[in-house]
Amino acid sequence: MQRLSGRDRILTALRRQEPDVVPHMELWLNPVVAEKILPGGSIEDLTEYLDIDGIAYYTVSMEKYDVLDQSKGIIRDKWGVVKRDTGQTTPHPIEAPIKSEKDLETYAPPDPDDPSRYEPLKKMVERFKGERAVVAIIEQPFMRVNEIRGAEDHFVDMIINPDLILQLNAIVVEHHLKALKNFIEIGADIVCFSGDYATKDGPMASPQHLEKFGVSPLGELVQVLHSQGIPCILHSDGNIMPIMEMLLGTSGIDGLHPIDPVAGLDIGVVKEKYGDRVCLIGSIDCGPLMMWGTKEQVRQAVKENIRKAGKGGGLIAASSHSIQSKTKPENYVEMVKAIRDYGKYPLSLD
Amino acid sequence: MSRFDEIAQSLTGTDVSRTADLTRMAMEEGLSAIEILNRGLLPGMQIIGEQFRSGEIYLPEVLFAGKAMKGAMALLKPAFQKEGAPPRGKVAIGTVKDDIHDIGKNLVIIMLEGNGWELTDLGIDVPTEHFCSAVRENDVDILGLSALLTTTVPRLKEIIDALEAEGLREKVKVMVGGAIVTQAFADEIGADGYASNAVEVVDLADRLLGK
Repeated sequence: MQRLSGRDRILTALRRQEPDVVPHMELWLNPVVAEKILPGGSIEDLTEYLDIDGIAYYTVSMEKYDVLDQSKGIIRDKWGVVKRDTGQTTPHPIEAPIKSEKDLETYAPPDPDDPSRYEPLKKMVERFKGERAVVAIIEQPFMRVNEIRGAEDHFVDMIINPDLILQLNAIVVEHHLKALKNFIEIGADIVCFSGDYATKDGPMASPQHLEKFGVSPLGELVQVLHSQGIPCILHSDGNIMPIMEMLLGTSGIDGLHPIDPVAGLDIGVVKEKYGDRVCLIGSIDCGPLMMWGTKEQVRQAVKENIRKAGKGGGLIAASSHSIQSKTKPENYVEMVKAIRDYGKYPLSLD
Repeated sequence: MSRFDEIAQSLTGTDVSRTADLTRMAMEEGLSAIEILNRGLLPGMQIIGEQFRSGEIYLPEVLFAGKAMKGAMALLKPAFQKEGAPPRGKVAIGTVKDDIHDIGKNLVIIMLEGNGWELTDLGIDVPTEHFCSAVRENDVDILGLSALLTTTVPRLKEIIDALEAEGLREKVKVMVGGAIVTQAFADEIGADGYASNAVEVVDLADRLLGK
């Protein structure tokens, strides 16, 4: 088969077809690891250096925030959520702006048309357009509202004050529709909605609550993107198996990340059951394997991943969450190499 | 339906003030605080635990029940002191230093309080020394440690080692939990117990104290 660009590989996989090779990209790549692999280089430079097929940017919430306490890493993001940055991939929320219904009267989400929020995305598009897939990441509405209202209040409100949650959903959807329009105008190839619907034990709320308060508003956004020809990925950790039918049916997503093995998901099983409906992305252990494993173990894990889920296309090989700060740099390099070695279509791994 | 059954049932409902209202009514009717707890609230929380375990209900319903339980317990607490009713045991619990996840820990608190344990919530991002002083200064039966991140899980061993170094290890049972913690890891670091979810913690705490 003729050689495809990284962008076309990923778009082909998202259509659940076979590209020339199994594509690879990560949604989050920690700069500490990037620096060790390519000293002085940016994530963009590393993407080119390792010939990664796609690049993602967490566009809307994380690029700007107010520092409240430098020594403790306390920040306030543009949605008004106070967070603590412990050096992990994402800062953890500690205080919500909507403490009661009254706060809704004065609450203002960030400006979706603030051009400075899209600068890094623009740079990625300018550098990679047509060659590598540019993915714009935005929080899915359930997770965004969970942070604005505070996790526990959000959950309890689904039972005792559903109207408040629906109002917050409407605020987020309105913001996101404008942000998505900007993504498309700038030239993003794909949109990824990020945020968990499940813990490792199972869904965070009943399928009915999740559908009404989480997946339906996501579906609205996906529909708008589909009407513009933009495929969508959902990132949700946790054991989502019990809600998979509803999730795929109601949201209409094209790709699912990260097929969380810590939550008991087996990419082979997911491929068998749902591989004809959604492209699978992830599942290569980003924990002990990438932190402490040997290169050979990484190669075997990649091989197994492709063997289980690569057949017929519809696989984007990736880690089971992200390349975190503690990832051994040489293991990530080996992972990329192994994907190229084992991922040539037609596959011959059985 | 008896008043106790009504109280138990109210924890599975959707009216957050109903449990407190029913508890107040029961007290006015002359029922003892310990009976209201043992025959109303505790069976109610056991139903919640079973339903959560079997996947009939989810986090929102458990948090709701925790809220309702808390309201009722606030009413009963002064009466307990008068009646001299002892708690099942004392547990201090916290999320380790540099880790600020608290939903798992809070669920454990709900389930243990809901089953008659007296809880001290040490909070999140708790320095190792605070865990030691909680054991040293309070009459704690069980210390609960929560760590969610690959970077903070090593703290669990650090705390157990610190308890050992300060001669406190024999005073307290240590239980550990968190998304990536396993029974094997708990055994390896010398913890007394591990539970994979908040419902299992109730059995674990009983087991640790030989109840």
